[in-house]
Amino acid sequence: MTESFAPGVRVQDLTVVYRTPVGELPALAGVGLTLAPGTITGIVGESGSGKSTLALSLLNAVQPPGRISGGSVEIDGLGDVVRLTGDDLRRARGRQVGYVFQAAQNSLNPLKTVGKQLLDLGRSHDVADLPALLREARALLGRMGLDGGRVLDSYQHELSGGMRQRVGIMLALVLNAHLVVLDEPTTALDMITQATILRIVKEVHRERGLTTLIVTHDIGVAAEVTDSLAVMYGGRVVEHGPTMDVLGSPRHPYTRGLIRAIPRLSGDIGEATALPGRPPTLGTIPAEGCVFRERCPLRMAVCDTVDPAPAAYGERTVACHAVGRPVNLAVRKEYV
Amino acid sequence: MNTVIRRLTGHLARGIAMIWVVTTISFVIIRNIPGDPVRGQYEKLIEQGMGPDQAERATAALYGFLPTGSLWDQYTGYLNGLIHGDLGQSLSTPGTGVATLIGSAAKWTVLPVLGGTLLSFLLGVTLGVYAAIKRSGKLGDALAISGSLLHGVPQYVIGLLVTAIFTTLWPILPAGGPVDISFEPGFNAAYIVSLVQHATLPVLTYALASYGGWILAMKSSVATVLGDDFILAAELRGLKRSVLFRYIARNAILPLFTILALSLGMLFGGAIFIETIFNYPGLGLLLVNSIGARDYALMGGTFLVITVAIVVANIAADLLYAVIDPRVRTGGAA
Ligand SMILES: Nc1ncnc2c1ncn2[C@@H]1O[C@H](COP(=O)(O)OP(=O)(O)O)[C@@H](O)[C@H]1O
Ligand code: SF4
Ligand SMILES: [Mg+2]
Repeated sequence: MTESFAPGVRVQDLTVVYRTPVGELPALAGVGLTLAPGTITGIVGESGSGKSTLALSLLNAVQPPGRISGGSVEIDGLGDVVRLTGDDLRRARGRQVGYVFQAAQNSLNPLKTVGKQLLDLGRSHDVADLPALLREARALLGRMGLDGGRVLDSYQHELSGGMRQRVGIMLALVLNAHLVVLDEPTTALDMITQATILRIVKEVHRERGLTTLIVTHDIGVAAEVTDSLAVMYGGRVVEHGPTMDVLGSPRHPYTRGLIRAIPRLSGDIGEATALPGRPPTLGTIPAEGCVFRERCPLRMAVCDTVDPAPAAYGERTVACHAVGRPVNLAVRKEYV
Repeated sequence: MNTVIRRLTGHLARGIAMIWVVTTISFVIIRNIPGDPVRGQYEKLIEQGMGPDQAERATAALYGFLPTGSLWDQYTGYLNGLIHGDLGQSLSTPGTGVATLIGSAAKWTVLPVLGGTLLSFLLGVTLGVYAAIKRSGKLGDALAISGSLLHGVPQYVIGLLVTAIFTTLWPILPAGGPVDISFEPGFNAAYIVSLVQHATLPVLTYALASYGGWILAMKSSVATVLGDDFILAAELRGLKRSVLFRYIARNAILPLFTILALSLGMLFGGAIFIETIFNYPGLGLLLVNSIGARDYALMGGTFLVITVAIVVANIAADLLYAVIDPRVRTGGAA
């Protein structure tokens, strides 16, 4: 349990397509993302930008009608999970990679108690000491403010949405996986519980020396817990870098718009300016040029024809034709 | 436990209401038979020299209610008789109570119907899971197609087909009747073998007639469950295939219990075709014969028993449901 091996993750040129009536359309188009061992990375972006698709790809679990059509997902100790199949893939899921599903409120079998499902999990991964697994589960639930014994004896319908999400988090951590992926893990919780749970996720992350990926559409959450932050738009990672830098001096026009759209906690609501327009859906993502150009204040001629490639600027990666030129924007202090 | 009792009470209340409607309809039919045979019987007995009291009692024994008196008195008298288990006398088999006839016919219906239904339920459900999971495979397609085809064929056509196959083309089974009368009834091998041989074709027909429906129902139920979030979540946790299979099967089978209950009840009525084809002396044949003989008391009694069977099947299914589904047991939201 004390042996800590935080895996690094390298997503390269990952393309995921969904079959639609008009053919296969890309939900992820050549995404690259590196998770440094031992860090917490956040992914933010509007709904439909491909966050869940990317998170599922880390387990090679993109669901039909979708499929990974290109690229690789290298995880230390597992190799390229895109190539994993059968029992190797099954064992990696749960044991090596813990996953908290976006709809964690509905992630339990309604006909079995939480405890029975925990035992199913243990047996599926050949856990020898099942009583120890139960103790571990009770302890994790206890840390998240629940009565572990009672929860293990409960059916899903006897638990509130927030309790179910915590059970989902417990199930992702209980096998001591070293890579943990949480897709919007706290959406059903009130602000205070949400903060508590994230603090605990962070604590467990430190204690066990994990590599963690948190998907969220809440920039406040990302600022609070992540070391590194990736911003997604239209199936691309448009900006990625240390969280403080990305929030403190955003460089991609979309990141800037996203940050400007948050009402300040201690300030004039009127200062928040919503991003004009709507995010693209699979069918409306332009086939060429920059995916953000319809909403971009810095749009240039080249943006209509050439999809900007991600380029590194120190620790930061940004995909925008306008970056590299001097930018002059008000830096928002509250996230620094 | 409270919820179960509440649901059970609801079922009982609805069941009793249903039984009441059926008995009232029976009463109205018998009371309004053209030519008023009830009254006619009474007058005939008086003409034959019976005293009015005696004639009244004799007629009442035959039809289940008094030939004289107001409609209301006749009606309450009829219901009162039913409550005390008196279904009246059969006209077509003089001297025999309707209850006795139904009792001896019921055993010939219950066993084949139960056997056939459970057999096809188990087969259809197992193959339905397979057909849903192997959607793209050849065998999965074949199963789904066989299901749709069989589902569309009426019971009596299947009955005639299996008769043609197993008694004419490849004559290995008896064509009709409940048992070979040359054997001594009782617990001896020859008699039991004969019973089983005679029951095989009716059971097979029941099974084939409903098997297609089960495959289709189970297939669509499994497809629904496969789309549920918790199945994806279980996959993402790396649960073994066998565990996943149990999660899917158990959740998918739940809604089928309601259909099972209904179809069991319906089958008692559907037994009409199959029992006629195989000359099998069950409730269906009894009903057909009673209609042919204008034996109204027997008709009413048979309807009543079929109704009761439907009610009982419903209640049994509900109890079974409560055993399997914890949400019903503890009264949570579904
Ligand atoms: N099963 C599916 N079929 C078709 N399109 C899908 C499916 N799942 C997701 N998509 C599309 O893929 C894109 C990315 O979705 P998703 O990864 O869920 O985004 P996010 O998690 O950021 O909200 C969206 O445009 C969405 O409509
Ligand atoms: S590439 Fe052009 S359109 Fe796209 S974000 Fe940069 S400036 Fe805007
Ligand atoms: Mg999502």
